Amino acid sequence: MKLVKKHKMTFGEADALIEKYYDGFTTVEEEKRLQAFLSQNGLPERYAAEQAIFGYFKNRKSKQAFTLRPYLKWAGSVAAVFVILVAGLQFIQPTYASYAYVNGKKITDLDQVKVQALNSLNNVSGKNNEVKQTLNDITDNQLIKQQLDVFSGSGE
Amino acid sequence: MNLKKQFLILLITGIGAFSGIKAQSDLQISKVFEQYGEKHGVTMVELTDEALDGYDFSLFKSITIVNNDKAADFIRRCLAKDEVGAKKVKQVVVNGIPTSIYLQLPRKGNVYRLILFNETFKPEQKITLIYIESKTDSENLLRLILKKK
Repeated sequence: MKLVKKHKMTFGEADALIEKYYDGFTTVEEEKRLQAFLSQNGLPERYAAEQAIFGYFKNRKSKQAFTLRPYLKWAGSVAAVFVILVAGLQFIQPTYASYAYVNGKKITDLDQVKVQALNSLNNVSGKNNEVKQTLNDITDNQLIKQQLDVFSGSGE
Repeated sequence: MNLKKQFLILLITGIGAFSGIKAQSDLQISKVFEQYGEKHGVTMVELTDEALDGYDFSLFKSITIVNNDKAADFIRRCLAKDEVGAKKVKQVVVNGIPTSIYLQLPRKGNVYRLILFNETFKPEQKITLIYIESKTDSENLLRLILKKK
């Protein structure tokens, strides 16, 4: 088995690699080694600029993992579905259509439909004063006033 | 889960949500219209966004059923459930059976909703159930309806 001895980078090697990096001649492998070197704690102050550069790239990469892009994609999909549904429903059910069924037979003539509607209204409309009396009780204010009157009357 | 499956689920959910968009669909009486609307001996009316002899309805639905005790019982059971949370404006009870009920339902958005039910026995048994949606205040609408007579 071939053993690969891990080589710890010296400051001199790091300086040389940094210079090579700024010249744009470093390989991917060399950049990885440089990144590993710069990620160490307790390095001399002169490496602060390079640490910031490599640290910045590292942070930016990690932030990309939480990008909004997939969410925006989904929001777009939801919006598209919504628009399609609304548009589709407008075509399928533009409005409630007016119609009547009499003994199972459909009527669409609006005048006839209205006549049927009025007939049904007449069926439920009040035929005596009881309805009018009931309507007088609808307003809560009146009801409260009546109840208060009862109390004020009992106190006398 | 892949994108296609997620999209399909979203679509089905959306369709489901839109299918229940009608305001009366949460009411039991909607079953009455569904079950009896197209049967013999029944008159069902649906008017939408129509001005009807001075009334402004965004939706008017009525059903009149003749000589059908079973339907009458079914309507009363539906009304009993829809009464919950509604304001009962009027109820007439004959021999322990409600023959006339007017309900003001809780407003849904800016839509006022009314249910009117009436049963007469002469010259024949006639049951009338009306459901109304309107932008007009339901109390004013009710007054209008009953004064028109």
